[in-house]
Amino acid sequence: MKKRIPLLIVLVLGIFGATAFVVPHPVVRNVDEVMRNDIIRIITAFSIVLGIGSIIRHHVIKIQRKAEHWPFSWVTLISLAVSAIIGLFGGLDPGTRAWLPTSIGGFSFHMQSIYVNMIIPLGATMFSLLAFFMASAAYRAFRARNLEATLLLLAAFVMMLGAVPLGRMLIPRLPDFAEWILTVPNTAAKRGITFGVGLGMFATSLKILLGIERGWLGGGGS
Amino acid sequence: MRFWDKLLAVDRRWIYVVVWLVVMLPLLFPFAIRPVAMPPVEQLFNYIDTMPEDKALLISVDYTPDTEPELHPMTLALLRHAFANRTKVGVLCVGSVMSVGLGVNAVESVTEEFNQHATTNADSIIYGRDVVFWGWSTPFVTVLLGMGEKISNVFPVDYYGNTTEEMEITPHIRNYDDAGILVCLAASSIPLSWITYAQVQFGLPLGCGITAVSAADFYIYLNSGQFTGMLAGMKGAAEYEELVEQKMVAEGKDWGLRRRATEAMSSQTAAHLAIMLFIIVGNVAFFATRRRKQ
Repeated sequence: MKKRIPLLIVLVLGIFGATAFVVPHPVVRNVDEVMRNDIIRIITAFSIVLGIGSIIRHHVIKIQRKAEHWPFSWVTLISLAVSAIIGLFGGLDPGTRAWLPTSIGGFSFHMQSIYVNMIIPLGATMFSLLAFFMASAAYRAFRARNLEATLLLLAAFVMMLGAVPLGRMLIPRLPDFAEWILTVPNTAAKRGITFGVGLGMFATSLKILLGIERGWLGGGGS
Repeated sequence: MRFWDKLLAVDRRWIYVVVWLVVMLPLLFPFAIRPVAMPPVEQLFNYIDTMPEDKALLISVDYTPDTEPELHPMTLALLRHAFANRTKVGVLCVGSVMSVGLGVNAVESVTEEFNQHATTNADSIIYGRDVVFWGWSTPFVTVLLGMGEKISNVFPVDYYGNTTEEMEITPHIRNYDDAGILVCLAASSIPLSWITYAQVQFGLPLGCGITAVSAADFYIYLNSGQFTGMLAGMKGAAEYEELVEQKMVAEGKDWGLRRRATEAMSSQTAAHLAIMLFIIVGNVAFFATRRRKQ
C-alpha cells in the first residue's frame, strides 16, 4: 500500500499532465488550471517548509557532532534567521512599510540593501574564481597530444580570439569563422545529442509513469 | 632543473597573479573598443526595434548574482531599447528568487536614467504605465502556462504590492497575445522551458541572453528559428549596447550612458590573450621536455 498509492498518483497525474498539454477540451483545461494554479502551488509551499526544516536539521546535527567545518554551520543558521526576520518584518526597501526598523542613521539593512551589498558581490566573486582555475588548467592540461586534442586547441583559439574585438582587428573574417563553428559543426553535434537525450527522457518518463522505474520511491530497485 | 622544466612546474599562484593583473589593469585603464554586432544580436535588435507599437516587450530575469557581470548589462540594454522606442515592458523572474533584486535594480536604474532627461509627463517613464515588475512566482511551469491565459492570475500583485488589475499598464499586457517578444536572460536551461511551455503552447516569439560558456547549447534553437535572436556573453551584451547607443544617438539622445559590457570587453580581451599565451607556453614547454626525455 505504501508503494501502490504513490505509484497510482504518479500514473494518473502523469497521464493527465501529458493529455492536458494536447487536449484543448474545456473540462480538461479547467481541471488542468486548478491543478497548476492551486494544487501545485500548495504542494510547493509545503516543500519550502520541508526545505527550511531540512537545512536547519542538517546544520544543527553538524554543530552537535562538531563535524568538519562546523563553525560555518553557525554562519548558515544565523544568516537564515537574520534574512528571514528582515524579509518578513523589515521590508524590502526603504520605501516599504515595515514592522521592524531596518536602518540606523545612514546605515540601512533592508532586504534590497543586503542583496546589493552582500549577495551580489559574494556571488560574483565565487563565479569569478573560475577565471583563475581555467587559466591554471589551460596552462597545465591543454596539450596538443594527438590530432583530436590539436583540433580542440585550434577551435578554442578561434573561439577565444573571435569572442573579442581584437580578433576582428587582426583577421577581419575571424568572428564570422567562430560564428560558423558554432552554427554548423557545433549545431550538428548538439542536435544529435539533444535527440538522444530527448528520447532517453521520454523512455525514462514512461518507465516512471508505468511503475517500472521506482528509484524515486526511495530504497531503489524494482 | 632546466628552464622548460621550471616553466612547467611554475607555482600556480604566479598564474593567478598574472590573471588578476590582466583582468584588473584594463578595468582601470580601458582601451577603446567598438563592438560590431553579429547576426544573432542584430536579429534580436531589429525584431524589437520593428515590433508593432501595441506589442509589449517581456523580459524574464532568470540569472543570479554569480553571472550578474555578464547578463545584467543585457537587461539594462534591453530596457533602454524598449524605453527609447516607448514600448511597454513587463519584467518578471521565474528561475530563482535570487534574481528578484537584479530585476528591481535594472527597472529602477534605467527608469531613473530616462527620467533625468525627461521634460514632460509624456516623456517620462512612469512605473505602472510604461513598465511593470511583477516579481517572482513559483513553480515555473505554472507561471509559464498561466501567463498565456491571464498574467494577473499568476501575479495578482506586483513586486511592490500594487494590485496588478488596477495598474494602467495591465490592459496592454494581459497575456502572451499582447507580447511582441519575451527575452529570457539566464545562465541555466530556463530559456528552453520558455520554448516548451510558452512558445509551443501559445506561439510566443522568444529571444535569449545567455552566458558565453553555455552559448553552444542554444545555437540549435537559434538555427531552428525558435529563438528570434540571441545575446551570448559579455560580447553579445556589448554588441547590443552598441546598437542601442547608435539608435539613441541617431534620435538625438546622446546621453553618454554607462555601457558596462563594453567597458568590460577590454578586460575580457586581455584575459583571453593571457589564456592563449598560457596554452602556447605550456605546450612549447611540454614538447621541449618530452623531446629531451625521449
